[in-house]
Amino acid sequence: MKIFRLLPVAALLVASLSAIAIAAPKSIKVATDATWPPMEMVDANKKIVGYDIDFLNAVAKEAGVTVEFKNTAWDGIFAGLDSGKYDAIISSVTITNERKAKYDFTDAYTSIGQILVVPKTDRTSKTIADLKGKKVGSQIGTTGAMEVKKVAGVESKTYDEIGLAFEDMAAGRISGVVCDEPVAAHFALKKKEYKEKFKIVGKSFTKEGYGIVVKKGNKELVALLNKGIKAVKAKKLDAKIHAQWVK
Amino acid sequence: MLDNQSTHTPIDVGDGAAIPHKNDAGLFTAWRIAFFGSIVLCLFLAFGRPDQYMAIFKFVPDGILITFKVTLGAIVLAIMFGLIAGLGRISSNRIINGTASLYVEVIRGIPLLVQLFYIYYALGRFVKIPDMLSAIIAMAFCYGAYMAEIFRAGIQSIPKGQMEAALSLGMSRQQAMRQVILPQAFKVVLPPIGNEFIALLKDSSLVSILAVSDLLRRGREYASETFNYFETYTVIALIYLIMTLFFSKLISLMEERLNDGR
Repeated sequence: MKIFRLLPVAALLVASLSAIAIAAPKSIKVATDATWPPMEMVDANKKIVGYDIDFLNAVAKEAGVTVEFKNTAWDGIFAGLDSGKYDAIISSVTITNERKAKYDFTDAYTSIGQILVVPKTDRTSKTIADLKGKKVGSQIGTTGAMEVKKVAGVESKTYDEIGLAFEDMAAGRISGVVCDEPVAAHFALKKKEYKEKFKIVGKSFTKEGYGIVVKKGNKELVALLNKGIKAVKAKKLDAKIHAQWVK
Repeated sequence: MLDNQSTHTPIDVGDGAAIPHKNDAGLFTAWRIAFFGSIVLCLFLAFGRPDQYMAIFKFVPDGILITFKVTLGAIVLAIMFGLIAGLGRISSNRIINGTASLYVEVIRGIPLLVQLFYIYYALGRFVKIPDMLSAIIAMAFCYGAYMAEIFRAGIQSIPKGQMEAALSLGMSRQQAMRQVILPQAFKVVLPPIGNEFIALLKDSSLVSILAVSDLLRRGREYASETFNYFETYTVIALIYLIMTLFFSKLISLMEERLNDGR
């Protein structure tokens, strides 16, 4: 009698074990530079959080894979992809022609632009060109840094992390910072210490789309992620995640 | 006890690049192979593979200038800090001695990278110092502590009898230190200071984290936009190597001349 009573339990156990074995989702390693709030950052519990993280987790769920995030410094994040340390990068990477020549991108999943932040004491500057003869900071290797370098007469200063650029502006060493609009909003409008000191000037002056980066030729992963992105957009999950982190 | 021996007790502070020994007179010394080899390699890369490398060589020169500025500024300041703290370390005044010792112990116990961040960002909150100057001050403050130990060892390597003789001739302690001890000590400390200079030249690459556009920063900026990591860091490493080898030779020549002039 006892054996009969145990039978359903045993059956359930076998069933669940085989289910795990069959449906064990593929895991992909993804690098992110978690110094770019609110898109990707490390929270008080040392966990990597942000828009990109929630977005990719939603994409992965739709695509039937799991994601393991790796916090990687921006300077060299592409080199790690070359050497196979991870499968993809989601780190607010703007899709540019230079990058597309070397790496493959998914479809753009969100669009942003570069914007200028200056100290509140500066009442005249509206664009980077207004800061001629002065130093303007940005993160090394970002589209923001490329925009600053385009403007003749402005001294470009590049930082390892965008937070260090804002800190340098607070210390009065530079006269402006250029970065992605949501990041600028985070530092200039939300952060307590900076709210009184900085202001965003003008509107964003570039049109850029973020994409997930994979090694050149990894068509399988691009297709898988694109499928996930489409599903997430169809379900309007991205708007929800956007509302949670960006606005 | 040591009074009748050579006044130049060698002090060994191994930190910088190996300074070629003057007995090492063969045609194919490690120094020659490394120095001329890297120059030839640079020329080959620049003119043999201009597509990949010429742009890098054109991008980084202003970084080399900044690296020199930081290194020279820091070494001059570090020698000043080191001399003051080194004299403080042998002072019989308890407060002066204690302060100097505290400086040496604290600074030598904190990694240079942490000190750079600390002085640059933490002090930036209270005083407005331009970026390059604060990088130089941070480097000098750190190296000053190591310099202090070199000066202390150098001064103590001069036999006590010299000071006693100077005092018995009617000199004051300060006069004796300035006119008798320090000139001799400078000869002793010159090689280790040369070592520190080369170590500082290499460590100056750390200021690139402070967004100072030195040689390494320029290389990183180039690599992060072109993704030519291998090519860029090959060039950066070669340029650093040529600089350190050049200066180590220069220092060893200076040392030789000093010894000949004795």
